[in-house]
Amino acid sequence: MVEEKKKFINRLKSMYALRANIDKMYARTVEASKAGNPTAWCAVNWWEADPILKAMGVEVVYPENYGAVCASAGVAQDYLERSAAEGFPTYLCGYARNCIGYAARMKELGEIPPEAPLGGMARPVLLLNSSALCDARYKWFQSLGRYLDAPVWTVELPHPGVKESQADGAHEQNIRFMVGELKEFIAFLERLLGKKMDWARLDELASAFIEVNRIWYEINELRKARPCPMHSRDFWTCMTASLYPSGDPKESLKLYRDLLAEVKERVANKIGAVAPEKYRLLFAELPPWHDLKIFDEMAERGWSFVVESWAYHPPKPIDLSHVSDPLERVARHTYRWFTGYFANALQEDEYMGYFAYPYLEWARDYQCDGAMLHPLLSCRTATNHLVLVQDRLLSKLKVPSLVAEGDIVDFKTFDHPGTMRKAEAFEEIMDHYRGLRRGEGLPW
Amino acid sequence: MTGNIRVAGEQKQGLARAGQIYHDRDIRMRQLKAEGRKVLGYLDIYPVLEMLTALDLVPFGILGDIKEPISRADACLPTIVCPFLRSALDLGLKGRYDFLDGLVAAHTCEVGEKWAHIWRIYIDLPYIHYIDTPHTTHQSAREHLAVLLSDFQGTLESFTGAKLTPERLRRAIRMHNEQRALVRGLYDLRKPDPPLIAGTEVVQVLVALISLPVEEGNELLRQVIDEVKQRHDGPKKKPARLLLWGSVVDSTDLIAMIEDLEANVVMDDTFVGSRAYFSDVKLTDDPLEGLAEHYLVDIRNPRTFRETALDEANRKDYWADLESRHGYLKDYAREWNVNGVILQTLRYCDIQGYEVPGLKDYLEHIGLPCTYLEWNYSQAALSPLRTRVQAFLEVIG
Repeated sequence: MVEEKKKFINRLKSMYALRANIDKMYARTVEASKAGNPTAWCAVNWWEADPILKAMGVEVVYPENYGAVCASAGVAQDYLERSAAEGFPTYLCGYARNCIGYAARMKELGEIPPEAPLGGMARPVLLLNSSALCDARYKWFQSLGRYLDAPVWTVELPHPGVKESQADGAHEQNIRFMVGELKEFIAFLERLLGKKMDWARLDELASAFIEVNRIWYEINELRKARPCPMHSRDFWTCMTASLYPSGDPKESLKLYRDLLAEVKERVANKIGAVAPEKYRLLFAELPPWHDLKIFDEMAERGWSFVVESWAYHPPKPIDLSHVSDPLERVARHTYRWFTGYFANALQEDEYMGYFAYPYLEWARDYQCDGAMLHPLLSCRTATNHLVLVQDRLLSKLKVPSLVAEGDIVDFKTFDHPGTMRKAEAFEEIMDHYRGLRRGEGLPW
Repeated sequence: MTGNIRVAGEQKQGLARAGQIYHDRDIRMRQLKAEGRKVLGYLDIYPVLEMLTALDLVPFGILGDIKEPISRADACLPTIVCPFLRSALDLGLKGRYDFLDGLVAAHTCEVGEKWAHIWRIYIDLPYIHYIDTPHTTHQSAREHLAVLLSDFQGTLESFTGAKLTPERLRRAIRMHNEQRALVRGLYDLRKPDPPLIAGTEVVQVLVALISLPVEEGNELLRQVIDEVKQRHDGPKKKPARLLLWGSVVDSTDLIAMIEDLEANVVMDDTFVGSRAYFSDVKLTDDPLEGLAEHYLVDIRNPRTFRETALDEANRKDYWADLESRHGYLKDYAREWNVNGVILQTLRYCDIQGYEVPGLKDYLEHIGLPCTYLEWNYSQAALSPLRTRVQAFLEVIG
């Protein structure tokens, strides 16, 4: 009789259906491509372009998600090496290099590479990226012109400074800019696809996406409970339905509602994702997709990851029911995601209102004992702010950080045993600072 | 005071003066401070300097220092980001720029944006403003930038207590356009074979320019151009005439390494090189519109995304796309009679790094040999690069 391996993270049952729904997007896109329907490769755009593409009948896959898929399936390394052989510097984004290697191989074969997991990404008619957060993504899609003849479009997201964002008129000007941008994008899409926007459908989709994120936000708020009902592993699995909104949003809505019900039930019955919950931690930014089992080993030590990855969290909800123009609703929703913490940040003289400041707020609200920071050797976006986060958490809240360098795709850069050795010592540090916090009258 | 600068009792002119300022960048700024002028630091080429000049503020270009080991910045910025930006922040933290009254930053790149926010947290200054320069050349982006510049104007007026009238701004634009024209005149001196001025000397002059008020910079340029035209001891003729492309080049070290070999660097497409100077700001009815157009559209820099060139079937034509993005380099190569290109990026520079394979395709397509160097903004990195450059020079003969 084979003894079943004990699981130390109590995964949410409703999570599996959400993941399966996302995995289907690859097959959907391949089928659409075979049927002659438009398909796109799309960068995460935080719901700015997604509803527009969907309303125009474009099936979408997300190469960033596919980078994680390839890393988990163990095929990314070959694509990374192919990217290097094509002349791309090895310090560039792991997702990008995975995608470039994939595209180069697809061009060479004239078809989807046979080793591609989940059926691969079909040849697109459009590359859609976003200026949000990251230079790599619009430069990466531009560079794909070596392998693909699909046009590239970049949707803009304003990146105001914390102080500048609070100036008179700044908020509304940024919304006007975004709406203007989206109109230009729609005009481009109509030319490209030879068809008109279905505005009624767009209106419906915009509302559906906003509602999905409202529920998703509510779920994450429940994680403040002790013990935390949902681990970061489940967050990373479930975030995909929000960030990569492929398929029918009504189905996603139902699945998130199921998730909400399960999390509420856990809170009511004080069921934690990790038992006993000895330490509550936050995680920044993206995890080592190729080594997620490390979180099980940490859970065995009583570590519960209760909040994580600012960029992949939904916006703080705002009432947009009075906004009749779907483009304006989309713009306000996405802008809220980006700037939702800015006003609080300014009050605390913190000027990196996205990425860095939210962790301060979260460490307090989720009562974190420590932070695990994962600088990515190939990603400036996920790493720029981590030294700052480490400093602010410790100096302002007496919350220490464990730093473990790695990469989202390249497994050779992550030191699993070394990280676990550090973890053991880190518990003493967390205990020490817990004492200091209490001594200073902090509530956890 | 305009024209000549007195430094430690010694008056220098032309190239000697440029060299002196290159080696002692803050000396003029400290004098101006003592005279009651306000000095605002800025990073890269996207802060709109005309608006500072128009309000009698002195712009000062913040740079790194290849010779100074980075230590203090390690506590604010990780090691896997642009070493130039890390160095610039490090110098700020160490007090090298303690004469600044303020800072103007812009979204030059993703790390440059974070750099501005981190500076604001750790280095307090009376005035700091961040311009959220858009990423594309879309019509909505151009209009948005003009509005952002109007906001910027408001903060400058509050800081100085002075009104920035359109006429003052136009006058400043003319002065900066004059500087751009003079720099292009300076670059014309690199067209003969041998060039009349060395690449290292050009870097010294350009670093001096961003360390002086614009009117003094223009006077310096006039002196340098006159001096270079008259002298007889310029660079020697060498077989290779190179164009240097890529990330920031703010010291003479890299070019000195190349020119120490059988090559003259006769043209560049870099910051602090030609990028800021090769197009003028148009004098529009509303000067902010002309400035927005210039800083977003006219400046050729891979940080700004330009839409794909499409064929009749709405497909991307790779070669047409490369031509629209890099065609100006072909013009440079022809006008400066270039026979080889060195592509260089600082390690962790994403913006330039993604350009490299496509740009190599383009240069090879138009028959220009090229090589790619990646380095980490340190003198130690230059020795192995020397061997690579040597091999490249042998290939191009």
